[in-house]
Amino acid sequence: MSSLDTIPICTEVATGNVEPLLHEIRHALRRLAEGKEGTVIDLKRLPLAPGEEERIAATLGTGEVRAEVDALGPTLIQETSYPGVWLITHKNADNVVVARFVEVTYIPELLRSQQADIDAGINRLENELKN
Amino acid sequence: MRKDQNLGEYLRMQGVSRRGFLKFCSATASLMALPPSAVSQVAEALATARRPSVIWMSFQECTGCTESLTRSHAPTVESLIFDAISLDYHHTLQAAAGHGAEAAREAAMEENKGKYILVVDGSIPNGNNGYSTIAGISNYDMLIEAAENCFAIVAVGTCAAFGGLPNANPNPTGAVSVSDIIKDKPIINVSGCPPIPVVITGVLAHFLTFGTIPELDALGRPVAFFGQNIHDRCYRRPFYERGQFAETFDDEGARKGWCLYKLGCKGPTTYNACATLKWNQGTSFPIQSGHGCIGCSEPNFWDKGGFYDPISAGQWGSRDALLGAAAAGAALGVGSALAARARKKKAQAAEEV
Amino acid sequence: MTLLEFASGPGLQWALWIFTFGVLWRLVGALFLLSRKDLSKPRRYSSFAAGIGAVISRSAPAHSFEKKIRFQHVTGYAWHFALFISVLFFAPHIIFFESVLGFSWPHLPNTIILVTGVIAIGVLVTLLIRRATHPVQRFISNADDYISILVVLVPLVTGILAFAHFGARYETLLAIHLLSVEAMLIWFPFGKLMHAVMTIPARFQAGTAFGRRGVKA
Repeated sequence: MSSLDTIPICTEVATGNVEPLLHEIRHALRRLAEGKEGTVIDLKRLPLAPGEEERIAATLGTGEVRAEVDALGPTLIQETSYPGVWLITHKNADNVVVARFVEVTYIPELLRSQQADIDAGINRLENELKN
Repeated sequence: MRKDQNLGEYLRMQGVSRRGFLKFCSATASLMALPPSAVSQVAEALATARRPSVIWMSFQECTGCTESLTRSHAPTVESLIFDAISLDYHHTLQAAAGHGAEAAREAAMEENKGKYILVVDGSIPNGNNGYSTIAGISNYDMLIEAAENCFAIVAVGTCAAFGGLPNANPNPTGAVSVSDIIKDKPIINVSGCPPIPVVITGVLAHFLTFGTIPELDALGRPVAFFGQNIHDRCYRRPFYERGQFAETFDDEGARKGWCLYKLGCKGPTTYNACATLKWNQGTSFPIQSGHGCIGCSEPNFWDKGGFYDPISAGQWGSRDALLGAAAAGAALGVGSALAARARKKKAQAAEEV
Repeated sequence: MTLLEFASGPGLQWALWIFTFGVLWRLVGALFLLSRKDLSKPRRYSSFAAGIGAVISRSAPAHSFEKKIRFQHVTGYAWHFALFISVLFFAPHIIFFESVLGFSWPHLPNTIILVTGVIAIGVLVTLLIRRATHPVQRFISNADDYISILVVLVPLVTGILAFAHFGARYETLLAIHLLSVEAMLIWFPFGKLMHAVMTIPARFQAGTAFGRRGVKA
C-alpha cells in the first residue's frame, strides 16, 4: 500500500485557451500602439486548466517594473517582458488570490495616485505641518 | 457602519484608500462576471450605495450554506460585501437569542418595509408545520410573514431553491422550496449544495451596485453564474471529445485526469460556476479533484439515479423486467403461430372436402 | 417530473418493453410458422450449409443486377456502416447498452462519430428524396416505408444537435433525442424496421428451402 504522495495526479491537459489569449494580448498591444485605448482581460473569466495560468505568466515573463501595492491585502503589479503588458494579481489579507488581470496599457490605473486620496493627503499634511 | 452611510464613506472610514476601493471594485466586478470595462460603473455605484437591510432565515437546513459563506475571517472582498449589508437577523451568526432576537427581527422588518432583502436557506416542511419551528413559530408562518413586505427573496442553497435533501424520496416532512410557497415576490434561487460562496456574495454585490435583481434563468438562478453547464466549461472536456474516460477511480485514466463521464459525472446536465470560479477561492472543484459532478445545483439531484451511474445509463428499470417482456412476447409469438397453423389446417381441411 | 426524467425513466422503460415484446412476438411467431416435417426426401442433407451460404451470398446483389443497382448497393452499405458506427461506437451509447445488456465494448473518438453521423444523415436524406421523387420508388412506397425512415432520421438529427449543444438547453435536446429513440423503438416491431431482425433468418430460411431442392439460392 503506497503512500498518497506517490500517486501521480498531475495532468497534462489543455483547454486550448492559452494561445488565443496570447493573440488577444497581441491585438490589444497593437491597438494601444496605434493610439487607441488600453484593454483589460480578466483571467478568472476564462476556463483554464491547472497550470495554464502559470504558463501564460511564464510566457509573458517579467520586465523592468515590479510594484507591490498594499491596499486591502497585497496586490502585485508586474510589467511583463512585453512593455505595455502588465500582469496584476490581487490578493486579500489572507494572501489568497481574489482576482487576476492582464492590463494592456501605458500605466495601470491602480499605480496612479487617486484624486480622492490626494485630497485626503493634503488635509493630513496641512494638519501635520500646523503642529 | 452607520445606517445612513453609503458604502464609499464606510470604506473610507475603515481606512480604505481610493486605490483600495478600486481594487475592491475590480474584484467585485470580476466576481459578478462583469467585464473589466464595467469597473468604473461598479465603482460609481458602490461608492454611493445605501446599505440594504437583510433578514436571513434558516429553515430545514444543515447550515452548510452559512458555513460556506463565513469561512474566511480576514477582510476579503466577500466579507467586505457581507459587512456592507446590514444583517439584521441571522439566528446562527447573531449573538442575541430568544424573544429579544425575535423582537429585533420584527422591528427591522417594520422599519425597512418594502425594502429589505429576505435571505432563506433550508426547505420548508409542508407536511406538518410542526416539523421545523423557530421560537414556536413554524417555518411556513415565518416565511409568509417575512415575505409580505420584503423587496426580494434570495433562496440560498438547493434546499431553499428546489427542496434539496429534505425533499428527496420519500420526503417525510413534505419539504418544499421557497418558490413553492411564495408566488408574489421576486425570488432569486442561488442553488448548490452548498452554493459557491462568491456566488452568494456576487448576488448581494449586484444588489449593492445596481439595486436590482440580476438576470435569471428559467429556474430563477442568476444567469451570470448558472448560465453555463459544467460540461461546457470543464477543463477535462478535451478528454471527453477524444473518448478518453476513467473507468475506475484509481486506474491509469483517473491518474491522468481523464473525463469522469463513465464514473457518473453529471456535468452535462448541471448548471453552475464550479468549473470557472471553482471552490476555496479558485483552488479546485470536484472534477479537478477526481470525483464526478453530482449535480448539486439542480432540482431533485438526490433522486436522479446514483452519483456513480453515468447519465446515459438512464433510469429505465430492471433487466429482469425486460426478460419478462421478452418471455411474454415469445409466448405470444408461439401462440399466434400455432393459431395461424390451426387456421391453415382448417382451411386445408375445408378445401379437401 | 421533467421532460428528461420522463424520457430517461418511464418513457425509456415502456419503449424497451414494447420493443422487446414486439420483436420477440414477431420473430418467434415467424419461426414457429415454419413447418418442420420433411414431406419428401431432401436433395441435399446439409441444409444448414445452404442456409449460411444464402446469408452470405445475398449480401451482394445477384450478378446480373450488379451494374444496374450499384447506386443502391453502395449507398445502402454506406448508410448501414455509418449508422452502426455512430450508434454502437459512441461512448455514451455504449454506457447505455451496457446498462441494458450487462457488457460493453471499446469506443471510438467523438470526432469520428460526428463524421459518421453526418454521413448517415446525408445518405439517408438522399435516399429519402430519391424514394419520394423516383417514379418507380414512389409507386411502390407506402406509409410504412416513410415512417420507418423518419423514425430513424429524427434520432440521428437530434443526436447531433444534442452532441453540439445546438438549438436549446442541453437537457431539452437530450430529452428530445431520447424520446425520438423511444418512438423508433416503439415503431420497430410493427414496420419495415423489422428487416434488421428478420434479414438473416429470412435469408437462411430461403437458403435451406432451396437447398433441399438442390437449388443454389
